[in-house]
Amino acid sequence: MAPELILGLAILIIGAVAAAFPRPKTYLSRIISLEIPGWGLLLVMLAYDETLALLTFIAVTAISTFVMVRVVERREAP
Amino acid sequence: MIEFLQVVLAAIALLGAVATAVSRDPFDKLIALGVMIGGIMPFIVDRGYLDVAVAVALLAPITTIFVLALAWRRDEHGA
Repeated sequence: MAPELILGLAILIIGAVAAAFPRPKTYLSRIISLEIPGWGLLLVMLAYDETLALLTFIAVTAISTFVMVRVVERREAP
Repeated sequence: MIEFLQVVLAAIALLGAVATAVSRDPFDKLIALGVMIGGIMPFIVDRGYLDVAVAVALLAPITTIFVLALAWRRDEHGA
């Protein structure tokens, strides 16, 4: 088994647990915790040599984080 | 890659992930996330995907800046 696959699966599990049960139960900490499984999934894709999937995934993750930050900002505004 | 280096980088990435999950302050979380990304980047370069490494190097800090703005605004309001 490739070391990238093992490391990616470990980070994916840690991140999934962290996003499911964030330490301070706020939107912000959940967004930051959601970044961890994204990187784990990137490592798993790396182990299977999928370049196009990797590039698309990185771009979409950045855009979706931007959109989520905007939504939370609007909701938190008084 | 050299096996020793592989083990050290995997340990850095895992420690960063656990620290991101455990720490309570949003700024601590973002710094630990940076440590995790620093551990993962050499694995991407090692497979020879320099285009992916360039995309990650450009987009990861931008994402951090977006979240940092939100964390800073929340800290300013004292929440």
